[in-house]
Amino acid sequence: MISFENVTKLFGDLVAVDGVSFTVQKGEAFALLGPNGAGKTTLVRMLLGFSRSSAGNIRIHGLPAGKPASRRKLGYLAENHRIPPYLSGWEYLMRHAAFCGLNGARARTAAGDMLQRVGMQGQERKKASHYSKGMVQRIGLAAALLGDPELLVLDEPVSGLDPLGMRDIRILLETFKTRGGTLLLNSHLLSEVERLCDSVAIMNKGRIVVKGGLAKIVQENETLEAVFIRHVEGGTE
Amino acid sequence: MGRISLVTVKDLMRQKSFYVLLAVALFFVLLLRSCYHGSYNVNGQTMPSASVAFHASLIAFHVVAAGMFLMTTLLAMGIFSRDRNDGSLVMFLSRPMDRWQYVLGRIAGTWMLATLFMFILHLTIALIGLANTGSLIAGYLTASLICSVNLLFAIVLTCTLSLFFPNVVAALFSLIVIGISFVSDGAYQLMQSDMVRQMVSGQADISLWRTLFPKVYMLQDIASSWITGTSFDAMPSAYVWTNVLFYTAVLGIIALLRFRGSEI
Repeated sequence: MISFENVTKLFGDLVAVDGVSFTVQKGEAFALLGPNGAGKTTLVRMLLGFSRSSAGNIRIHGLPAGKPASRRKLGYLAENHRIPPYLSGWEYLMRHAAFCGLNGARARTAAGDMLQRVGMQGQERKKASHYSKGMVQRIGLAAALLGDPELLVLDEPVSGLDPLGMRDIRILLETFKTRGGTLLLNSHLLSEVERLCDSVAIMNKGRIVVKGGLAKIVQENETLEAVFIRHVEGGTE
Repeated sequence: MGRISLVTVKDLMRQKSFYVLLAVALFFVLLLRSCYHGSYNVNGQTMPSASVAFHASLIAFHVVAAGMFLMTTLLAMGIFSRDRNDGSLVMFLSRPMDRWQYVLGRIAGTWMLATLFMFILHLTIALIGLANTGSLIAGYLTASLICSVNLLFAIVLTCTLSLFFPNVVAALFSLIVIGISFVSDGAYQLMQSDMVRQMVSGQADISLWRTLFPKVYMLQDIASSWITGTSFDAMPSAYVWTNVLFYTAVLGIIALLRFRGSEI
């Protein structure tokens, strides 16, 4: 469903992403892990077409990333998600629904359903300027799930959420995965990744230092955190 | 693109400043009513009220059309930066939308609203004239629509510049370009008048840069000729139309190219 082939991104002399290759299969929950500045968000931004790769190919459903058609069945939640302050949560969702091709009663039903699923019913008429960070994340996730996406790309989806909010989002993502959805998750919360994802890639300094199925990477009597620290601090492959 | 244009109109109409501007503009336009009731003497002769109404409406037409440049520049200068800052850009482009659709949709929406704004003001003036003289000035509203092409130029110019410079600089630069067009072409047209020709011997030369400079003033004058019913003969009107549309298209292409390569 997603493929990165020798993707490199340069910002001047800085190599933000250095020859990264991996694939995410349909129905898979894949996590990108790495310390700050490892290049995870840059990869996600290139996948969405927000930034162009300096070299290599990125494809979604076989289509080059950046082509609008590649985002047809894609939901995205950005890191530090923002909602225009003059819009209410409801207006924001309706706007997303319209751009997903949902109109009228179908849009209202879908938006109402999503609000319920992210636990924001009753709050949807408030302007976004009155939302807490957690509420913005919830509305952002609801927007990403609108239009029945086959692929969800989430950049730090639980940042700003309290433990209950994290649990709610995890349940929501587990449901999405159970229904056959593909998930690309960029997160620092290793415990959440362990619970949710099938495969991971750990990045450091723009390169993938280890990738594969969780069961393969994390040995018995070991945690993902220990693997992460070993590979990032050790700088080994 | 149609959907994003509609969203743009809605977004701009959410801003309180839009209504404040409209209310202030309407207030000044409504002040015109008193002009129709005055007694005016020219060379000792009292001007007929129909003539007073006509000239007052014509002056108001030009004032509104010129004032709209300021309004559109203010509207257009922050479109892209605001979208970047408040998350709208990510919202639009994470959906199956091409960048050119976003840019042209935002520009088209702003143009639609600015045209409507100016049309409301011109319609108000036309209705005041109708109420005072019992007849609608022919070509008045057509002239308003012709001037909307100038607004498109101003919006595209400001939007394009705002992709290279800070918003305020982009707005100021746009106003300077429009101002130069008014001064340069206004002076040229004055030089072409019979009275000045008699005072100044020989033909007034027109330098190349003046010929090539955006002809927003001339286009407004073409619009005005629809009201006065006179022929526009300062220069070929086809050239004026081509000039303004050419600059608008070139600036639009620059904006698209600039936006296509930018990091979101």
